[in-house]
Amino acid sequence: MGSTLYLRQRMKKPRILFLVVIALLPLMLISCGLFGGGSVSGGWAGTTFGNGIIYTGTRDGRVVAINASTRSQQWDYIINAAIYTTPIVDGDLVYVGTYSGRLLALNTLARSQNLTFPQKGDGEWEWDCPTDNAKSNAIVANLAMSENALYVASSNGRIYSLDKGTGDENWKREDIPVLAEKLWTSPVIQGDALYVSTFEGHIYALSVETGELLDWSFGSEAGFASSPVIDGDVIYVGSFDRHLYAVEIGDEELIWRFPQEKPAGNWYWASPIVNAGVVYAGCLDGKLYAINGTTGEEIWSYMTKDQQDKRSPIVSSPVLMGNLLIVANEAGTVYVFDVTAENGNEGVPLKTISIDADVKSSFCAYDGLVYVRSEGDSVYAVDIDKGGAAEGWPISLTTEE
Amino acid sequence: MANAWYLIIGNPVLNVLIALSHLLGGEFGWAIIVLTIIIRLISWPLTKRQLKSTKAMQEMQPKIQELQKKYGKNQQKLQQEMMRLYKEAGVNPLGCLWPMLIQFPIWIALYQAIMRALATTPENLLDLAQRLYSWDVVSQAIPLSSYFLGLDLASPGNIILAILVGGTMWVQQKMTQAPAVDPRQESTSRMMLLMMPLMFGFLTFMFPSGLALYWAVSNIIGIVTQYFVTGGWGYLKFSSPFQRTSVKGR
Repeated sequence: MGSTLYLRQRMKKPRILFLVVIALLPLMLISCGLFGGGSVSGGWAGTTFGNGIIYTGTRDGRVVAINASTRSQQWDYIINAAIYTTPIVDGDLVYVGTYSGRLLALNTLARSQNLTFPQKGDGEWEWDCPTDNAKSNAIVANLAMSENALYVASSNGRIYSLDKGTGDENWKREDIPVLAEKLWTSPVIQGDALYVSTFEGHIYALSVETGELLDWSFGSEAGFASSPVIDGDVIYVGSFDRHLYAVEIGDEELIWRFPQEKPAGNWYWASPIVNAGVVYAGCLDGKLYAINGTTGEEIWSYMTKDQQDKRSPIVSSPVLMGNLLIVANEAGTVYVFDVTAENGNEGVPLKTISIDADVKSSFCAYDGLVYVRSEGDSVYAVDIDKGGAAEGWPISLTTEE
Repeated sequence: MANAWYLIIGNPVLNVLIALSHLLGGEFGWAIIVLTIIIRLISWPLTKRQLKSTKAMQEMQPKIQELQKKYGKNQQKLQQEMMRLYKEAGVNPLGCLWPMLIQFPIWIALYQAIMRALATTPENLLDLAQRLYSWDVVSQAIPLSSYFLGLDLASPGNIILAILVGGTMWVQQKMTQAPAVDPRQESTSRMMLLMMPLMFGFLTFMFPSGLALYWAVSNIIGIVTQYFVTGGWGYLKFSSPFQRTSVKGR
């Protein structure tokens, strides 16, 4: 404060001092912006395939439909909000949730004709998630779908069941403890129950019909980072404590925790997949782990890399295409593993394909092609047989100014 | 440059804050308060020098006022004489700016740490994963609750916090700001005394409450430290009109 005395004596005009003080404001704002750390919500909608069309969401807030055979954009619908959920296709309807708390049922025919939304006669509807005194009503988690209903986990900490045909609310569950009002993990249906993992460290089971909490739940000291995956009566879920958990439904004790000793290098953010008793889990430490689903022992692990040969986190879940396991890391390197018994225990990829673009979204595979949306809003079709990008791809989803 | 920033300042502040939060029962607000105390302790040698310098400059005020009366019409001579006076007293007025400048990167690091640690968006949470140390105390703390004493530390501050930040800053400044003799300086003085608290009060509405909490706690620590090091409330006691008259009458 001695400096202010000095400055005050030096300043000839108060105006100069005023300007110095005011200059601090933009300087601080610019510095915070330059060094990063602000809130960014661009969305990372994955791709889904239905009736020859690829559906995804863009970072500028549009739902886009691309004809896979003609490689042309069939239609787009502007939402003007970030989209984190991967669209779900059911017949002619595409369901998508938004960061602004909207859930839309879009009819592909009506959207192709660019008709006013919603065309109720075509089954279109819109549902606005209430904020319910919470900080946010954003929909980040993927939707779950049953024969008649959609299940939505909202950032307001509540779970909703909506009528698939009308968007009417069947029920809502609002007493699930959610840390910091973030319910960003996707619910999963198994039989008559809906399973939800929370950042607060619990897995809850709800009746799909009524939303009532079922008798069983599982508690952990650490929060769960990934959405649960269910195989038989076992739930596999990634934790913030850098372990993958295997939990038997109905049992309060966990079956195993992987790694058994030292934790992994980072979180298991993406949901694992299970095939023939083997759990394949991508980790943010850049490794893909193959784990014995019964014992929790490591079968093999493989460190994925970027083009500079540095490790790159695995953000999106692996997918299976026949006997092939496809995994992509954030740096856009796609690895193909053969998971058949005679070849799958080595952990050596059959192919490594680089699309040279950041990948955080989930992707889908169909008829020998893997459709990946990059952070730069391009959709790549990776030809697994050919070992490279399919002809005519990628397709840019960005709108021209 | 960005990598060096995160390696040296950004990530250490983030991880210490998260570790403190876990050690303090998962309360992120307490972690910010304890971190503020730690930062003030680390910067204590600089603060001490600043306070001593402030005290010395306060003691020099009668001499400075004499110089102002004597050389008021010759600004160049006045500056020369003032610098000579500072030199004789062994005071470097600009040296007092260091603690203020050091605060600046801390504010930026803290702003980033709050936004990242509380992960207001999914991208923030994913980004956080790449910045955490492999300390158990850190991984066990994630994710964090952003609520503290009714405040959402990730959201911009409210009017009460803005008043607290502005008010404590005003008190801290007032304690060291000597009343001016020259009316022009008095005007500058008043503006300075008001501008900084007003600006930081305004910033409270723009930055996350966690950062405003840091400013408020830092100011309070500054007030307490100044009280004990400089021996009392300094010039704050002259704030009443009666006392101001008595000063001018001295």
